[in-house]
Amino acid sequence: MTLFRQIALMLSIFLIIILATVLTLNFQSANESVQERLYEDAKNTATSLSLSLGSANGDESAMATMINANFDSGSYSHISLVDVDDEIIFERIAESEIKDVPTWFRDTVKIEAPIASANVSAGWSQVGILNVQSDVAYAYHQLYTILIQLLISFSIITIIALFILNILLATILRPLKEVQRQAEAVGRNVFILQEHIPNTKEFKDVVIGMNNMVSKVQAMFNKGNEELKRQKELEYIDKDTKLRNRKYLIDKLPEFLKVDATSKGGVNIMIALSGVIEANEKIGHREVDKLFQSIADIFSAHASNFENSITARMNGTEFSILLPDCSQKDALDLAHGIYDATQDSIQKVGLDTKQTFISLGLYEYNYTQNIGQLLSQSDNALTQAKFSQSNIHLEKSETATEVMGKDAWRMIINEALESNSFKFVSWTAVDAKRKKVAHNALSLTLMSNNGTKYFYGQFMAPANQLGLSSKIYQNVMHMMFSTPDMKLKSSTCSIRLSFEYLDLADTYDELSELFKKYAKALPFKLIIEMPDKLVRSNSKAVKLYKTLFEMYSIETGIYEFIGESADYQYLQDLRPVYIKGESSYFLTQSDQSLSALRLITDTVGISLIATGVMDMDTLHRLQDKDVFVIQGRATEMIELA
Amino acid sequence: MNLVKLLLLLVLIVNSSLMAKPYVERSLMLKIVKKYKRFAGKRFMALQNTLDRVKSGSDLDKLEAVNNFYNYVRYSPDIKVYRKKDYWATPWEFLGKDMGDCEDYVISKYFALRYLGVSSKKLFFTYVKSTKFKAAHMVLTYFKTPRSEPLILDNNNRRIFPASKRKDLRPIYNFNGASLYKAGKRGAGKKVSSRKAHKKWDQLKLNMKRKKI
Repeated sequence: MTLFRQIALMLSIFLIIILATVLTLNFQSANESVQERLYEDAKNTATSLSLSLGSANGDESAMATMINANFDSGSYSHISLVDVDDEIIFERIAESEIKDVPTWFRDTVKIEAPIASANVSAGWSQVGILNVQSDVAYAYHQLYTILIQLLISFSIITIIALFILNILLATILRPLKEVQRQAEAVGRNVFILQEHIPNTKEFKDVVIGMNNMVSKVQAMFNKGNEELKRQKELEYIDKDTKLRNRKYLIDKLPEFLKVDATSKGGVNIMIALSGVIEANEKIGHREVDKLFQSIADIFSAHASNFENSITARMNGTEFSILLPDCSQKDALDLAHGIYDATQDSIQKVGLDTKQTFISLGLYEYNYTQNIGQLLSQSDNALTQAKFSQSNIHLEKSETATEVMGKDAWRMIINEALESNSFKFVSWTAVDAKRKKVAHNALSLTLMSNNGTKYFYGQFMAPANQLGLSSKIYQNVMHMMFSTPDMKLKSSTCSIRLSFEYLDLADTYDELSELFKKYAKALPFKLIIEMPDKLVRSNSKAVKLYKTLFEMYSIETGIYEFIGESADYQYLQDLRPVYIKGESSYFLTQSDQSLSALRLITDTVGISLIATGVMDMDTLHRLQDKDVFVIQGRATEMIELA
Repeated sequence: MNLVKLLLLLVLIVNSSLMAKPYVERSLMLKIVKKYKRFAGKRFMALQNTLDRVKSGSDLDKLEAVNNFYNYVRYSPDIKVYRKKDYWATPWEFLGKDMGDCEDYVISKYFALRYLGVSSKKLFFTYVKSTKFKAAHMVLTYFKTPRSEPLILDNNNRRIFPASKRKDLRPIYNFNGASLYKAGKRGAGKKVSSRKAHKKWDQLKLNMKRKKI
């Protein structure tokens, strides 16, 4: 319970007790007053009537008449005249009729009208004593009306008082609310500076302290950001040509050579510049450097026409242009274009194109190959190109025997979509330091109509390449939320959503609807993983997703992180719970680069997870780099605590 | 001076030791002496002596003695003595100041007679009209029996006469505190003792309880 609520509750109870006490006292006072009035009335009647009775000179009938007249004209329950021997001379008694007053009130409030007496004389002789008792009906009615009025007025006062109390408390505790908001934000690794410094000394000290801490954390983050950007430039950029370098290409290639690759394949062009020594001798180093720059510009300009292309300088004289989804013909056209443009540049600097020229080895790869295969085959194509007359050679990959064609996959996936045949399987992400499961990473299997089970790695690439992956995600997200697996209850699970699915215009609305309907009933804590490629754009869509996920207490994670962003502010803005990168990425990072990344992630509470860790050796090398949470086959070799 | 006070105190102590219960208790007497000086003390001693003298006598002896004793007190209206239009003084105030109006005589006589054991049922405070002075007046009336002719104890006429002999007085209203309370207790209502039976009478009872001097 918040401090505000505790104080509000305490003061409200206190206030209500005070008001209830005042109400009770008021009612008691009214009760006494009414009863007093009853007696006073009776007494006044007794005195005045006794004086009148005195004038009757002991005539009983005259006295009875006087008593009758008084009794009938007023509210009395009893009037009696008793003689000096205690014998009743005359008496009138009336049954009290109490109307408009509920029984509970009559039972609760006992009103007893006192008897007032007065001596009656006739001249010097005593006649007796006159006793008068007022009727309580009027008193009950009056008291009940008073009670109702008191209850109404006290209810109004209570409501007004509670309302004012609420406003006063809110005003007094507003600075505390701000402090709490700031503290909560720090807890969520959000660092906000409070501009308004409260006047209350205690709050003021806390706010100044928090602001100081937030400023320091922000400064640390900024330092890490700057350092990481600088390191990335050193690690991924060729400083002479400003092209990407070999390390970048190798870190980036897993995105294209993976089981669920969107691109089925493409062409990698390996380019070598021959005759550099001769060129240096002829035109000098400076001019050759300029030539390299102009050649790099030609490569970049030509490759830029191809989406997702990567142009990298592999070493002093070799370059690579990766062209995902590019056909042989387009690649050959591009190669010829590059060749001609480069030869022109060489000629322009006054070099002999027979001595200084470029060779282009084109290798048509597919997504099932690994990095080593791609690079060695590309080198092989380049070697062939160097010996060919045209200096351009195309090497085709050994076509893997496809078990099923496109149409077969389309049919299986469509059938699975219709019959909801996707099932979740979970793999664990393990914290090797604590020897505990960090979370369950959910993956998919597909059960075809003929009973064959296909794993994610088998069906997702064809699905991607057939444009069916988004439908699969729609299907499985709906399945996850509408019929959650109760075996996962109370655990933490992650699901990876693809760039293509998240980038679709309708996805946000679909997810909103889904969360609105089912998120509250989800029995496990969910982390939705988004690709770094999408997140680093820090686009409006990403911010919308973040807000949506936060609204339903769904955490976010980032996958396929290779830290190629120009700015890492997006990590602070998105505040994912973790960043997943290939184990090779972490292992090939320089200490400075990793330490800058650590500074950023530690500041905002992001953990690093290495994926594809296949053996203990890799795990140990990752641990040396302070990366302890892993995914991959090695998790099975860790004995959990 | 101190010696006189000491002697007076000694006499009071001896006197009180002889009586089982004095009309004015010792502690109260000391306060009266302190407030109204030693002559007041002497008046109370004289009262005590008067009361002691008729303690074992008949009601008539008691009425005579009490009526006679108090009728020596000077008459003075309330406005002059208490700066109030109408005030019912306690017997201690009345004899302490040695002055008062008709109600004060009646009150003091009533309580003195009650001390002497005269039944409260026989004693009534009677509002009368004095035809002689053409003014409202109060006397103490004594009824031997409820139906007998009352005797009138009046401060204007020092002697006690039966009511029929007092043509100068016209009875208006009388009351008897004790019978009022008794009647009240007979009723179904709350205890009347906690209520007002008669405004002036109730205030007087309160002053008596507080030993107002």
